[in-house]
Amino acid sequence: MFRKTVIIAVMVLLGFRLGAEETRLVMSAPNAVAVGDQFRLTFNINQRGENLTLPDLSSFDVLMGPSFSSSTSIQYINGKSSQSQDFAYTYILRAKETGSFTIRPGSIEVDGKIYQSNALTIQVVSGQAQGSTAQGGQAQTDTPSGSGEAEASSATISKSDLFIRLELSRRQAWKGQQIIATVKLYANPNLPLAGFEEVNLPTYEGFYTQDIEIPQQINFKREVYNDKIYQVGILKKTVLFPQQTGTLTIRPFSITTQVQQRVRQRSFFDDFFTGVQTVRAKLTSDAVTVSVKELPPAPAGFSGGVGEFRISPELDLNEVTTNDAVTLKLHITGNGNIRLIQTPQLNLPGDFEQYDPTVTDNVRASDAGVTGTKTIEYLFQPKYEGTFKIPPMTFSWFNPQSGQYERQSTPEYELKVTRGSGDAGTGTVRQLRKQDVQSLGQDIRYISQKQERLHPRGSSWFGSTYFWSVYLLGAAAFAVFFVVYRKKMEENANIALVRNKKASRVARRHLKVAAGHLRQNQDEAFHDALLKAIWGYLSDKLGIPLANLRRETATEGLEAAKAAPELIDKMLAITDQCEYARFAPAAGNKAMHELYDRAAEVITTLEKQIKKQ
Amino acid sequence: MTMRYLPLLFLLLLIPGRMTAQGDLPGEAGKYYASQDYARAAEMWEQVLASGKESAEIYYNLGNAYFKMGDHVRAILNYERARLLAPQNDDIAFNLTIANQSVVDRIEELPRPFFARWMTSLAQKASADGWARLSSATFLIFLILLGSYLFSRSALIKKVAFFMAIAAILLSLVSFFLARQNHIHLKNRTGAIIQCPRSTIKSSPSDTGTDLFLIHEGLKVEITDSLDSWKEIRLPDGNKGWLKDSCLVRI
Repeated sequence: MFRKTVIIAVMVLLGFRLGAEETRLVMSAPNAVAVGDQFRLTFNINQRGENLTLPDLSSFDVLMGPSFSSSTSIQYINGKSSQSQDFAYTYILRAKETGSFTIRPGSIEVDGKIYQSNALTIQVVSGQAQGSTAQGGQAQTDTPSGSGEAEASSATISKSDLFIRLELSRRQAWKGQQIIATVKLYANPNLPLAGFEEVNLPTYEGFYTQDIEIPQQINFKREVYNDKIYQVGILKKTVLFPQQTGTLTIRPFSITTQVQQRVRQRSFFDDFFTGVQTVRAKLTSDAVTVSVKELPPAPAGFSGGVGEFRISPELDLNEVTTNDAVTLKLHITGNGNIRLIQTPQLNLPGDFEQYDPTVTDNVRASDAGVTGTKTIEYLFQPKYEGTFKIPPMTFSWFNPQSGQYERQSTPEYELKVTRGSGDAGTGTVRQLRKQDVQSLGQDIRYISQKQERLHPRGSSWFGSTYFWSVYLLGAAAFAVFFVVYRKKMEENANIALVRNKKASRVARRHLKVAAGHLRQNQDEAFHDALLKAIWGYLSDKLGIPLANLRRETATEGLEAAKAAPELIDKMLAITDQCEYARFAPAAGNKAMHELYDRAAEVITTLEKQIKKQ
Repeated sequence: MTMRYLPLLFLLLLIPGRMTAQGDLPGEAGKYYASQDYARAAEMWEQVLASGKESAEIYYNLGNAYFKMGDHVRAILNYERARLLAPQNDDIAFNLTIANQSVVDRIEELPRPFFARWMTSLAQKASADGWARLSSATFLIFLILLGSYLFSRSALIKKVAFFMAIAAILLSLVSFFLARQNHIHLKNRTGAIIQCPRSTIKSSPSDTGTDLFLIHEGLKVEITDSLDSWKEIRLPDGNKGWLKDSCLVRI
């Protein structure tokens, strides 16, 4: 806070000093004179001073001086009075010889302080043919209208007295390099110019032009051209940008001027009324050529800029929500053909909605060329959340001074996008819009990373020995397998199958034997035959050798063959009874009959049950 | 029982897999390609091919390198070579389509009957060796199924094995013929790529022959006959003519 106050105070004080107090010693003289001409050298100061020290004036004759004059002006503006004083010291000098002379600064003392003036350069040319010494005093006057006492000449005006010329700041340029063209009117100081008519300014074909603003009022200045002094007025200033290469010709242009001339008296009265006549003089310039060189091959990112530029990018937001607009501003500042610079392309990742950039220029044309700023605003909306990189943009331009391309890049920005609150669901299903995949470019697919083994050229597995051997060996193996396996299979299949199939027949034969024994009442033989019938049947049917057949193995075998448990119990009961009867006979004929029937029934039921599966 | 023989049979299938060591020239070239030094990558792949060995990958990668160097004719040539070895690879087909965009001539292909088209597109689903492998594998499966049919005790297994065995032997036959077809393509290499920027096709194998038509580089043609240094070529649209063989490269 304190610092700010101090700064403001200092600025205010400075302002006062600059506005009111500045003391300056100004030396002025015409910048071109002829030999033998008299002219004034004036020192002006806004305060009273003393001890004016003159610079070295040995190149000139000092005819008179100093003559001192002072003036005071008091102004009332809006009730405020301001006073300004002017003190002038005037010397009258005369040029002695031709050449360019520099008058070093003079100095003056004001209140003990010494002030130095500016330096001046005066060009002295040889005396003009029609110049008269009497005109010397008028040298300071800037308008030729005052020199009405010019000689009465013929009706024609010599081309060396009055002409127009197009002055170019350079005659050789790169394509796009700026050239400052000035249309100048040269007039002999003694020639009374009255005005212009019909001004046809040059048309700059093959150039892009931009006018430099000059004061409406034409300001004539003294200038030496071809060793002669002229009053020179600038009619127009234009900045030219060549758009074509080769030799460009700016065609002659013309101006009609009015010149006052004294006419010869024809009678006494003539002189009285029309002593001076206005004559029209049409002036035509010469054609001017410019040779324009093509720019060297352009690097990537060249957008037509020729001159000196700088870019400064500016991203307004680093963290946004989806569908927020983000602006990337690119300022291109510099001197050159700013208006002709094309908008550099911003290559955003595909998932941004990008709008056409807006371009504004702010340029000013001056004697130094066209300077200013072009601002390009890239507007885009991120559509998805995530962290995105905005790729750098390269801006490249041609510097005509060095004859080389220069470049500058924007940094790579990182943009964090979070989901916008506007996207949050409000209870309804969000409307999602399907999009086609954006096609960004076409390229061949990348090389294969597979390291497939190499094989000799022209070789292939098809038709090779290995290939055929697969078929042959396969077939051979099958044949061997078939022969070997078939024999064994047959054997296996025969024994098991035959025994199985014959089981009930064998059992029935044993039962028949048992029935014979029953009829003859041979107890022991009957029971033996019955047991043989049952065990033999089970052995054949279940594929268990007789030697291994016991109560337990038979039960397991029958259970595996899914025989009903009560049937198994029944069968076991019969065998138990048979075993028992062998050692304790006398069960009676009736009981033996019953046992036989039961055994026959069990075998029949078993045969049915086991077959079912 | 049959299971005991299976591993043995599959072992037979694996026998052709002989390893060939070639240094790591292809891998090295891949690195140069990645660093966009296409010329050097291409040179190294060419070296690998110069040693008399080949693989679809090498041709494909070499084609990519030439494409990136802007040599579209050689890119097309190498893609076509890669496609002969691996007709089923869609990367090769894709890049070949892109490279073919630079070929000036637009030629309407002669229409072919639908079964021929089906046959070709089926054959291109695998390479010659791929079909050969399928054929031999299905043949072995056929034998196994035949065995199960003959020796199975169950009627159901017998029935299933019978029909599957018929399917297997049919598949084996079809793939055998497809393998043979691809193999013939590979052996004959009748395709060729036009190398000269512009070449005039003559009606007879001499310079005095009538000019028939003008074709440009990169076009794929078929060689149908040859006489001295002249080759009779056929364009995809069926037109035939003679051309000096210096303007052709066999695929």
